[in-house]
Amino acid sequence: MDLLIQLTLNGLFNGAHFALLAMGFALIFGTTGVVHFAYGPVYAVGAYAIWALAALAGLPFWAAVLLGIAFTAALGVSCYLFIYRPFEISGSPPFVVLVASLGLFIVMKNLIGIVFGTGVKTVDSVAYDVHFVGNAFFTTVQLGQVAAALLVGCGIALFLRASRYGKAIRAMADNREMATVIGIDTTRLSILVFALGSAVSAVAGALVLLRDGLNPNMGFGAVFVAFVAVIVGGVGSLRGAVIAAFLLAFVQSLGMWQIPTEWQNTIVFVVLFGFLLARPSGIVRRA
Amino acid sequence: MSKRTLFAALVLTSALTGGAALAADPAVYKIGGIFAMTGASPHYGKVMSAGAQLAVDEINAQGGIDGIKLQLVIEDHKSGSAQAAVAGMNRLIDVEGVKAVLPSFSTVTLATMPIGDQKKVMMINGGGVSAQTVGTSPYMFNIRSMASDLAAGIAHRAAEQGAKKLAQIAIKSEFGDATIAATTKAWEGMGLKMVAAEQFQADAANIDTQVAKLRASQPDAIANWPTTPQAGLAVKRMRELGMKQPVYCMEWTAEDTKVAGKHAEGVEVVTDYFAATDENPWSKRFADAYKAKFGEMPDFYAANYYEGVYVVAELIRRAKAKGGDYYSGERLVQALWENPTFDSVYGKTLTFRKNGVAQKPVAVFRLENGEQTFVKFTSGD
Repeated sequence: MDLLIQLTLNGLFNGAHFALLAMGFALIFGTTGVVHFAYGPVYAVGAYAIWALAALAGLPFWAAVLLGIAFTAALGVSCYLFIYRPFEISGSPPFVVLVASLGLFIVMKNLIGIVFGTGVKTVDSVAYDVHFVGNAFFTTVQLGQVAAALLVGCGIALFLRASRYGKAIRAMADNREMATVIGIDTTRLSILVFALGSAVSAVAGALVLLRDGLNPNMGFGAVFVAFVAVIVGGVGSLRGAVIAAFLLAFVQSLGMWQIPTEWQNTIVFVVLFGFLLARPSGIVRRA
Repeated sequence: MSKRTLFAALVLTSALTGGAALAADPAVYKIGGIFAMTGASPHYGKVMSAGAQLAVDEINAQGGIDGIKLQLVIEDHKSGSAQAAVAGMNRLIDVEGVKAVLPSFSTVTLATMPIGDQKKVMMINGGGVSAQTVGTSPYMFNIRSMASDLAAGIAHRAAEQGAKKLAQIAIKSEFGDATIAATTKAWEGMGLKMVAAEQFQADAANIDTQVAKLRASQPDAIANWPTTPQAGLAVKRMRELGMKQPVYCMEWTAEDTKVAGKHAEGVEVVTDYFAATDENPWSKRFADAYKAKFGEMPDFYAANYYEGVYVVAELIRRAKAKGGDYYSGERLVQALWENPTFDSVYGKTLTFRKNGVAQKPVAVFRLENGEQTFVKFTSGD
């Protein structure tokens, strides 16, 4: 029973991390249609920037996080303006943009290794506590992941429902051509969602920096999880992406209750393939 | 005899005698290295290539081998990609013309071993520990202790410290599988109980589920088999989740200490014993030169690949002294078995056993204040 409680808690905390990543990716992909695989290295660069500001520049961690989030947002916007936007203007087919994003992924990943070195980066200046529920343990950082997912999720939902820009983003996600026809500036909105989505990934990166440390390859797993969550959740649905992120984490964790952990990734994808076969449009179907 | 016949006779004579001997001398002796230069564990590629390069530089500074220089040609296996390793191995042999290759990682060594065997190229592994690399090719040699040796050493260490129930965690790889199997055999062979064996993917940063299952199995001690940096991450997770049992590792680097932080304290490492001491002048000279060149002290991986280059150089020297078409994998292997003993940077000499594995001293180290402190020599026997 103790193990089951621990695995449930692990699923919750990992789900919160996955949800943060999925929200950022879903915002970009669902609105612009760009399969932004470079989202992974953008997230990684953001985390490295926070590390550099905290560990090298000696800023307080909270200040490093704020600056890192702003930097990551700017980096995401740069990806859009300098890589994807030129292809949009020239009317390139989506697969060309996809290839460009993969190329950008590789370039950025290698640049991380060159600029920051290939060793693991950690921050020693932030101490955190361990808490327990019965015999099950969790850390303050893991609690922070849940809190961040809740806050960011509620914030984005509120923004999309209540603000003028949020409504415009929803309109663009629903039908880009129609949005253009009714006068919505889709380029400006694309810049906005790239900034927002990338900023969200930096929040996840800051917490992972504290929890596991950083390495140049961390971007692949992040974008992979985010992409799967968005597809399973239903493209265009932020809520679906969050639900799928938690589903993924719980399957990864609880699925191992009675099965050897070497099957962890395999069982996840068996379940997800089954789910997609049964419900190909994803968890949340768009109207 | 016509002029044409005379010319043909001269060409034939030249080819059968002096011409062949001259042609056997290459412009440079190229030694291949297949290392993890990128990917999840580039630390290994960094130290292994540094050790090998230092040996090449030292030998060249002393005039090479009878005036012919050595050259290290490195291929990147991206931290365990068999595909990249096979491509690299083929390039080293077919394009660069190497006769000896230093592979690293069990997966890579196993993937490239059939090519070395088929193309008769000598291979000296100083990194992988898989038992499957032993005794399967006459061209394959290991210059480090194998998983079976280290696992047995760790099993004995855990048992002598009073453990009755052991749990293991490893990466899902040839290395991880081999180590888990070797440890289970050694542990259960002593009549003790293995209570858990958890594995995870090589690039995983999140191993909470695996650690939760380790904890639930309530072991007396934990055998921690991941390589850098996951070895450190696993220790950090175990300690954070309240696990206070002794942890034993097969290797531990500065990267692991960085990841584990304060939780590294007290972890024990059972591995090849390399120490730069005054009693062993070569080890001291190597360590000083390594530190001067790369800014840090060498670990045993750097020492293994440094030593590997010296072994290959010595084999070339011996084969050359015997004359003929000496520069081939077959002749290098032949030279090794004629005298399988070499000077060792570990101290005194190393001798390749009949199974192609060099006998190395194995010791227990304990991490104290971030440094590995020697505890005792050990043996799996």
